[in-house]
Amino acid sequence: MAENQVIYLCEDTPDGIFTAIYDAWAAHLPLERLSIQVEYLHEMQLFADYVYVQTNLDKAVKVARSVNGKIGRQAYDMIYNASLSYEVDKIDAVYHFLKLGFCYGKAVVDMHGQDAVCRVFELKRNVWNEAHSFREFLRFHDSDEGILIARIRPKNQVLPILADHFSDRFPEENFVILDEAHTMAVFHERRKQWYLAPLDKEVLEGIWHRKESAEYEKLWKSFFHSIAIPERANYKCQRNMCALRYRDYMIEFGM
Amino acid sequence: MTIIEDLSIEEKLTILSDSAKYDVACTSSGVDRKGKAGSMGNTAACGICHSFAADGRCISLLKILYTNECIYDCKYCVNRRSNDTLRTSFTPEEICELTMQFYRRNYIEGLFLSSGIRKNPTQTMEEIYTALYLLREVHHFNGYIHVKAIPGADPQIIEWIGLLADRMSTNLELPTAAGLKELAPNKTRKTILMPMRQIQRGIQGDFGNIQRIDGSRESISKGEPAKPEKEEENLEMIPSGLQPSDLRERLLYQDDEEMLSSVKEHRMVVSSKPERKQFVPAGQSTQMIIGATPENDYQIMTVAQALYRQYDLKRVFYSAYIAMNDDSKLPAVGTKPPLLREHRLYQADWLLRYYGFEAGELLTEEQPNFNVYLDPKCEWALRHLEYFPVEINKATYQMLLRVPGIGVKSARRIVGARKSTVLNFDALKRIGVVLKRAHYFITCNGKMMYQTKIDEDYITRRILELDRRKNWELDYDVTFKQLSLFDDFCGQRAK
Repeated sequence: MAENQVIYLCEDTPDGIFTAIYDAWAAHLPLERLSIQVEYLHEMQLFADYVYVQTNLDKAVKVARSVNGKIGRQAYDMIYNASLSYEVDKIDAVYHFLKLGFCYGKAVVDMHGQDAVCRVFELKRNVWNEAHSFREFLRFHDSDEGILIARIRPKNQVLPILADHFSDRFPEENFVILDEAHTMAVFHERRKQWYLAPLDKEVLEGIWHRKESAEYEKLWKSFFHSIAIPERANYKCQRNMCALRYRDYMIEFGM
Repeated sequence: MTIIEDLSIEEKLTILSDSAKYDVACTSSGVDRKGKAGSMGNTAACGICHSFAADGRCISLLKILYTNECIYDCKYCVNRRSNDTLRTSFTPEEICELTMQFYRRNYIEGLFLSSGIRKNPTQTMEEIYTALYLLREVHHFNGYIHVKAIPGADPQIIEWIGLLADRMSTNLELPTAAGLKELAPNKTRKTILMPMRQIQRGIQGDFGNIQRIDGSRESISKGEPAKPEKEEENLEMIPSGLQPSDLRERLLYQDDEEMLSSVKEHRMVVSSKPERKQFVPAGQSTQMIIGATPENDYQIMTVAQALYRQYDLKRVFYSAYIAMNDDSKLPAVGTKPPLLREHRLYQADWLLRYYGFEAGELLTEEQPNFNVYLDPKCEWALRHLEYFPVEINKATYQMLLRVPGIGVKSARRIVGARKSTVLNFDALKRIGVVLKRAHYFITCNGKMMYQTKIDEDYITRRILELDRRKNWELDYDVTFKQLSLFDDFCGQRAK
């Protein structure tokens, strides 16, 4: 009788995922018997052995360090971004990618003939494109305390990418970005390092508020309308470039 | 001309963005700059769009005029002196407030400041300088700034502004000197090319020997200029009576007295040269109006190519003429803007800059206009079937770039991937090659994807089938996705 599939279940964070990769690697299982899944996304199977992974920062750092050192920065960026994906096969893809990577070194990132490389590339591209869209379309509002506050509802966990971007851009601002889809938030205090925190839904809704007198929002809306050329009206193109799902929180589209 | 003084900021913003909207460029690309403590802002070389207007064009920068008052009467321009419209101006402080407040809410990537000419070019540029100086040095704005260079302004003020801006652009206005003469009586090709040459040299680190208004010469640069001065400045190849331009030549429009006094006025506002070293780090661009004058596509592409080669421009923008003004020398008011033609020009422009094509390969005197039904790259491939099919696993990068359906990114990925693997059609698809277009022109391992005749008529019909709906929409319905293949007005998105 064939041996059971071994399924590792872990937390859906880069640290959790890297820990699971560390543990699975140490177990020396053949690839076809191994799968690593995000715990809350996984549907339990009858004929499988389960291993529950305890997130461990030291192990995660070891994985990150050896990928950076042995396969290179570009490969690390690929797997880090892929691990923020919402797709369920992401960890298996990253694991297979790393198997190839430790064999071929930094050349692995160009090996588009390999399924695992293609897949990690696609996952990374999807995460990166969504993060880029929020870099474009996210809107900050003034709260009464002068804190900038924004909310988003992304498919992938784009907050760390956004946090890097906006903390570099606004070093002197206090800001909060709420991710309503994954109920977490990033906090940035002026001139300090940002941090990420999971939140309860009620807490998250409690944080969201914005100032009523919104002078600049009004100005922005009039600019948005006067800058368009009626003779070139093209709503289809507008929708292609700025998909409807991003518009919920964009004030110029009438929030 | 009705000049209104006490408008609200919202009314000013509406008027001065409405009159700025015909400027094409809204890109915020070309320079990566990290944020820094004490400042607000950074820039990304890929550029970032922040919204898309009802015309499908990207909104990246706060695109406004400093003033829509203008002493010029260029026939094609909505702000021409003879138009009876509301005129107003921002104050430098208003521009700073709007930019800072929009920026921190992530509405914009920065400022795009252009202007009508209130008294003379130099004085207008000085007011713009004051606004930018306040924005950079007082408000500590570290985001993107694109500013127009107004032909005829004192070279010194252009130099100072270039130290505060990321990108500068001088409008070529019309593709040929003859067209310019016809429609813009106050401008000449020569005065337009002068600031363009100055900015090019500034970017190369050579500010040397600019003749000051007071007659003194000041040499800032050390060493030789990177490019020897060219005698001929003929962008069109076809002789057009163009005079050689020379930075040191006197400006055309104003007498020295007037300029001198305006320089003094400006010094009272902001009198110091900015303590900055980088000059126009994101490079310079230009734009020309398409369809107001009778030039053909070949002339236009020849001019664009000359601008890229002789002036190191980052971008040339093409603007389909929108007939707003009534004039016997212009298309009738309400004439449909030639959007499909503009689209083809952008596609061809991309081929010049990234695909290694020359204008003369795409068009000739005998065939001076692009095909309405086929994109320029496809058209080229169909006329040169002797090169095809190419073997994906062997072809050079330059040859891959010439295959319809393969872009710069996929060509790079192919070259990277085939070092370790033999590529098949499935891998090509995942790499991002548009196979429904490319498969007529390629083999993988000696095999084509389907059995296909390498025959011009046959492939043309098939590809037209693919494009028919899109082209029809482009021309008749005006609901096309602008520059879908080439992603033009906005910062490039990862593909």
